[in-house]
Amino acid sequence: MDNLTFIAEILLPALLTGLVVTIQLIVVSAPFGILAGIGVAVGRTYGGKIPSFLCKVFVMFVKGCPLLLLLFILYFTLPSIGITFTAFQASVIGFIMCNAAYNSEYIRGAIKSVKEGQIIAARSLGMTKYQSIFYIVLPQALRRAIPGLSNEFIYLIKYSSLAFMLTLVELTGAGKLIATKYFTYTETFIFVGAIYLVLVTITTIGAGMIEKKYAIPGAQGR
Amino acid sequence: MTKKVYGVFLVLVIALAMAFSGCTDTSGEEQKSVETIKIETTTTYIVGIDGEYPPYAYIDTDGNPTGFDVDSIKWIAEKMGFEVEIIPVAWDSIIPSLQAGKIDMVYSGMTITEERAEQVNFSIPYWKVNQTVAKHDDTSYTMDDFMSGEYVVGAQSGTTGAFWVEENLIDTGIMPAENLKNTYSSFPSAAADLENKRVDFIIYDKPPMLEAIEGKPLSIIGEIDTNEEYGVAIRKSDPELLETVNDGITMLMEDTYWDELKVQYGMVD
Repeated sequence: MDNLTFIAEILLPALLTGLVVTIQLIVVSAPFGILAGIGVAVGRTYGGKIPSFLCKVFVMFVKGCPLLLLLFILYFTLPSIGITFTAFQASVIGFIMCNAAYNSEYIRGAIKSVKEGQIIAARSLGMTKYQSIFYIVLPQALRRAIPGLSNEFIYLIKYSSLAFMLTLVELTGAGKLIATKYFTYTETFIFVGAIYLVLVTITTIGAGMIEKKYAIPGAQGR
Repeated sequence: MTKKVYGVFLVLVIALAMAFSGCTDTSGEEQKSVETIKIETTTTYIVGIDGEYPPYAYIDTDGNPTGFDVDSIKWIAEKMGFEVEIIPVAWDSIIPSLQAGKIDMVYSGMTITEERAEQVNFSIPYWKVNQTVAKHDDTSYTMDDFMSGEYVVGAQSGTTGAFWVEENLIDTGIMPAENLKNTYSSFPSAAADLENKRVDFIIYDKPPMLEAIEGKPLSIIGEIDTNEEYGVAIRKSDPELLETVNDGITMLMEDTYWDELKVQYGMVD
């Protein structure tokens, strides 16, 4: 079999099926990762003593635990206490936890960059604490967090390959299976790498556009 | 201002240049010393094993590689006058590791197949095995259910068990491809998934299967006569080592130590 037929008839179709799984993983994980990240950041900054402490512990736990280990716990350990996730569910839960923890740190930093005087001003206008957080602080903070969040999204694209360790055949896994079966490591991994590069490039361009569109008027160049 | 920048740049360049010149010097010396050691003492070959393939090759509780194959190569090395260093390697990339020179041989219950023989040389066969199929004790599946292709089968990635299912059940149209989960990087994780009932069957070489299901609510329901033969894989560019290993295996199989080993690792029926 020559190289071209191998690439066209075996490699690319297999990688495409893998890519679909990778995209499913990202599309399901990313929105929840951002939402949970906002929740954790707000909880940590404005929640009372206990919610703030819980959010801090959550972030500490996820940051301190290798993602692969977290996935193994979700997939292989939880069945012993009666919770059996499918490989896809376990991966998505793991990715959301990891994504949320890191996102929350970017958002927390952005929240802190909004001057406290704004909350005081909002409160003096009669807004409640949560109204001032959701209508005054967060709209500014989230815009400032976009570069950080897009960075974390790019990480998500790449660490989605860990799902292969839970037997899910995503892009890297599909490539590895082909490489092992046909002994074509170089060709296969070059293609896999190129596909990730395309995904990351699209994300970077997209994030740049979002950043531009939602830039705070009059605040450029600060 | 610009002068300062140039100054910093200059310092960096000098630092880099020094760092690199340092590199070449030491590596040159290291190479020389390695060569002299090789002449003075015996050659050391690096043996790659699957770290989770009992009883042939595994890492014991103290973290040392051990097993039937590991003891075999140690014995051969002693008789043939070379040293061995045994390292565990990911099974599904063990042949590329061998080809890339990261290891010098694979002595870890590797079945001799045509596809593998195109990539590497194999020693004379030293062992014969069949594939076995296991199920969970809570289920009442039979071998007929396994052969029907309607159930999910788990197998370690890159093993002959996975290849057998692909060739005999999937390629013949009996089983849909998604019913084979051949993505486990080690066999114990496939066994764990059978215990969690994520898969209905697992397929693997018989002796390591017995080890993997021991003490678990899993049992072997059937054997598939594949009559696979284990051999030692060696780089094609290394015919001398192949000869040495072949001689060693012949010697070992004629020695009484061979029978001792079989008893020690419980491989006599």
